[in-house]
Amino acid sequence: MIYAGTGESNMRNSVSIGVGMYKSTDAGDNWKKIGMDSTEHISRIIVHPKNSEVVFAAVPGPLWNDSEHRGLYKSTDGGNTWNKILYKDNKTGCAEILMDPSNPDIMYASMWQFRRLPYSFNSGGPGSGLFKSTDGGKTWRELSKGLPAKPFGRIAMNLAPSNPTKMLAIVENKETGLYISEDGGETWKSQSATMNIVARPFYFSTIAFDPKDEKRVYRPAFEFAYSDDGGYSFTNASYEGGWVHSDMHAIWINPNNPNLMYIGTDGGVYTSIDRGVTWVFNHALPVGQFYHVSHDLQEPYNVYGGLQDNGSWKGPSSAPGGVSNASWSRVGGGDGFWTIPDIDGRTVYCEWQGGNMQRVNMQTMKAEGIQPERTSKEDKLRWNWNTPLLTGAKNPRNLYTGAQYLYKSTDQGRNWKRISPDLTTNDKKKQDQENSGGLSADNTSAENHCTIFTIAESPLDENIIWVGTDDGNLQYTNNGGGSWINVSQAIAKSGIANQAWVSSIEPSHFNKETVYATFENHMYGDHKTYLAKSTDMGKTWTRIMSDEFTGFAHKIKEDGVNPNLLFLGTEMGLFSSLDGGNSWFRMKNNIPEYALVRDIQIHPKTHDLIIGTHGRGIYILDDIRAIRDLNKEIVEKEVHIFQTPDIVLNYGRFGWGGPETSGGWYAGNSRTIPTIDYYLKDRVSSGKATLEIYDESGKLVQSIPATVRRGINKIDWNLRSTPPRVASGSTKMDAGGFNAPMVLPGNYTAKLKIKDKEYTTKIKCVHDENNKDLSVNDRKLVYEKSMQLQKLFNQVNDRIDSIAAIQKRLKADTVKFAKNKTMKQMYDDLEKVRSEMMATKQKSIFADEEKLRERISDLYTTFCGMESRPNQTQIEAIEVLEADLKKETENLDRVMRKYVSSVVY
Amino acid sequence: MTRKLPLLLLLVLTAFGFQTKAQSLEEIVKKHIEAIGGAENWKKVKSMKSVAKMNAQGAEVMITIYQVHEKAMKAEISVMGMLGYQILTNQAGWGYMPWGGQTKAEPLTAEDVKSAQDQLSILDEFLTYQAKGKKIELVGKDDVEGTECFKITMTDKDNKITTYYINTADYHIVKTTSKSTVNGKEMESTSLFSNYKKLDAGIVLAMNTNGDMGEMEITSVEVNPNIDENIFKPSN
Repeated sequence: MIYAGTGESNMRNSVSIGVGMYKSTDAGDNWKKIGMDSTEHISRIIVHPKNSEVVFAAVPGPLWNDSEHRGLYKSTDGGNTWNKILYKDNKTGCAEILMDPSNPDIMYASMWQFRRLPYSFNSGGPGSGLFKSTDGGKTWRELSKGLPAKPFGRIAMNLAPSNPTKMLAIVENKETGLYISEDGGETWKSQSATMNIVARPFYFSTIAFDPKDEKRVYRPAFEFAYSDDGGYSFTNASYEGGWVHSDMHAIWINPNNPNLMYIGTDGGVYTSIDRGVTWVFNHALPVGQFYHVSHDLQEPYNVYGGLQDNGSWKGPSSAPGGVSNASWSRVGGGDGFWTIPDIDGRTVYCEWQGGNMQRVNMQTMKAEGIQPERTSKEDKLRWNWNTPLLTGAKNPRNLYTGAQYLYKSTDQGRNWKRISPDLTTNDKKKQDQENSGGLSADNTSAENHCTIFTIAESPLDENIIWVGTDDGNLQYTNNGGGSWINVSQAIAKSGIANQAWVSSIEPSHFNKETVYATFENHMYGDHKTYLAKSTDMGKTWTRIMSDEFTGFAHKIKEDGVNPNLLFLGTEMGLFSSLDGGNSWFRMKNNIPEYALVRDIQIHPKTHDLIIGTHGRGIYILDDIRAIRDLNKEIVEKEVHIFQTPDIVLNYGRFGWGGPETSGGWYAGNSRTIPTIDYYLKDRVSSGKATLEIYDESGKLVQSIPATVRRGINKIDWNLRSTPPRVASGSTKMDAGGFNAPMVLPGNYTAKLKIKDKEYTTKIKCVHDENNKDLSVNDRKLVYEKSMQLQKLFNQVNDRIDSIAAIQKRLKADTVKFAKNKTMKQMYDDLEKVRSEMMATKQKSIFADEEKLRERISDLYTTFCGMESRPNQTQIEAIEVLEADLKKETENLDRVMRKYVSSVVY
Repeated sequence: MTRKLPLLLLLVLTAFGFQTKAQSLEEIVKKHIEAIGGAENWKKVKSMKSVAKMNAQGAEVMITIYQVHEKAMKAEISVMGMLGYQILTNQAGWGYMPWGGQTKAEPLTAEDVKSAQDQLSILDEFLTYQAKGKKIELVGKDDVEGTECFKITMTDKDNKITTYYINTADYHIVKTTSKSTVNGKEMESTSLFSNYKKLDAGIVLAMNTNGDMGEMEITSVEVNPNIDENIFKPSN
């Protein structure tokens, strides 16, 4: 039985919002939502050691608004119903709970008053405090003896499982400090500690004892520290086992083997087998938190993106053997956001928090800082934590960024021109970041406000630029920045909160006056999905709504080919519309329901849909042309085959390249051979489905089982004809039976047979002009020689089959066979020929036997896989095989002649 | 149009509709049994011989399956001129896969024989689960390849769980997922079923199964043939 509480609880500005509590009773295979829907953040769950129906949940609650749903909760029926057992007010939640393992009635809870606004953070207040219960949570009293004067902020605390009266607490206060108790929290003593132990208490909320040794204490924080004297002094872990990412938030220590532990950090999960002294990174979790994703135009194209506290990255969309961890390369450090390739193919722009941007030479990895500086003509520059940095959709040589002003460069950031006045509301009340943090100052650019958050150049006109801010302004210029028009009042009229962040702007690819935008207002506690469209250059806006939508909106994307095809990414899903936004559906098929879709791109060459998620990495949906073609008429047909694009004849872009040796996770490649796509209105539950490929003469080339799913089906044809038949009786598997040559360029017909109906489409296969190793004539030669070998293969298998048939008949009458020596002799003579024609004796794959059929098969297989001109020895070897087959055929004829008059079989 | 659009593609309508349990589990199971031809017809089935093929890159792998209900089964597999087999009986089991380098049949472990016993039943699991002491639970509705299905878990006495996804439209099984332990290693397998066909015997079978090994299509089935029980012994 597992309980899972959702919503990150280390309350940075970027934390994801949860949807309550889940429970699994089958070790995680299935999960059931069990309520607490409005809690948004659950920080700790304790299940009673003797009764798994009794569960406690610490709920800090919403970060951005007042809420009654905070506090400490208890369920006595396995989570079906919950009672709040400790509550202060709608600003104070429960950050931590502890249970005494020797007496589960003794519990401790830390209450925490906290709040974020889009432009400030506060940790601390009269609601915060440390509480104890000795009756299983029925009643609570506050602990204070030895603790500093209130107000408190967040309290990180723990007790030693081997001696539960021994406790440690890091109490956020005017002077945050470490406190030690030896009597179950009744009295505390202050203990001096380094900054790493006490810094950023709202963010580093974990401290833990070794389960068996009360002297051994761990403090995962900015760095990993451990103590051998019960918390009186700490040492930082060594990096000898490899660098460990800073910002540590979670720890699990194996209670049976405390040498083994895991930590969760901003960089992933690490394992230690030496009590935290050294750590090894776990490579296999695809949980990257991307903010933005982009691509270049190379083949195969690369994907770029910035990760929460994990820098900026570049990785191929496909690579030999698949895209592994080793395929990715680092572009920049810090918190990564926009990572944009320049069209020169060598340069990438990236940044870290607060607009620290760089131009990176990807050949040398040398980086130049290019952030525009304040001159005498500007006020102090205000850079968003996630500052926009991008190239133009119409003119990719234009590079844009924005503080409160918009900047443009046409020479890769070597020079900048400010092309706007302050485009924000410039509300001074929202600009007091230096006093942000509450009890502990915390100003890391995450609270910067009244800044530009979104920039979009029209794909139709580089002089039209739209700019959105984090304080509700949406403005455009249609003269390259000469003048600006603020349309935010018009947006508010469509029902969108007027201070909402403009999270994305999508000027249409088809009409200069049409523009889409998303807005998000969750920092004011409003989670509505705000999407709007204007068709008159922002004068009037229509809010687009759907019952399908969940989560606040991050990104709207219009397809560049079909104006009715739209994609929307929200905090809780990916949605699409096929009718210009009138109706929407949630996209599934491996995109999880709660995918935080931050960015969406459509590759103009491959037609791939590229999704950047916050917490689930990057997804690519290959080639959306079939979705583009869907229209009302098609959707209402029972079956529809889409036009297959011309197929360039090759076996794909990559070979295998050998197994991945760096370990970890890797993504499969996209298909490089176009699929044959069809749409089914409903799943075909009964009746057979087959896809058959025919050549121009009407000959069946290959028959392929067809899938029957509802919606779009994609069938892979390996571009080969049907492999030849293989005679039985060998002791070795024959690869020739799996192989057939690649078809020649020409027109083919695909027939989709479903039940008793047939649907047809034409497929054109063309020569691969990019393959310089294979001319059209070479291709014909390879095909001709492959077929020559296939003929030999068929002949040798026919002979083997005929020998086996005669042998079977000879042995049919076992009594006669036993008595007749000539029959036995004939059988043995045939066996001699048969065993020269194919492997009949091989006992092990490590003791290879190669006879004529295997030799033909080997060469045939080689020819079938060829994508270059064969070498001379390969061609001459065919003649040798022909001669050898002739010889063996003669041997067979000789045997047959020898017995023709003496044996009747 | 708006109503139909959500039914497309990689997509789905309802997510996890735990809340909609309008139909009782008993009703679903009853309709499922009707869909597969009814309990009466199935109970007459004592043995079966099926011929199937799998498609590998255009090449065919032929499989002949002999089943004697609750007693024994054998699958003969012909791959590229080599013949292998798998046998399972109440007491023992063997596998012979010459293409994997085996030169003679190798016995299954006693534990594997025990955990595979369910496979000896020819009958649909929903006809026998009660007799076998298994428990079923309607977890909710889920989407399988765009088709709305009832999601039902079946748990046996050893806590082995198989999840069935039953089409809400025609009550046929669309997908199963199950966990089993082979040689001490936990394996999860998924199969998709289609091409449901009514046989002369009145029972309805999925002629196509798309499993971890690829797509298998049954091309012919004989119900209640005479099967020589000697075939359920290893021949080498």
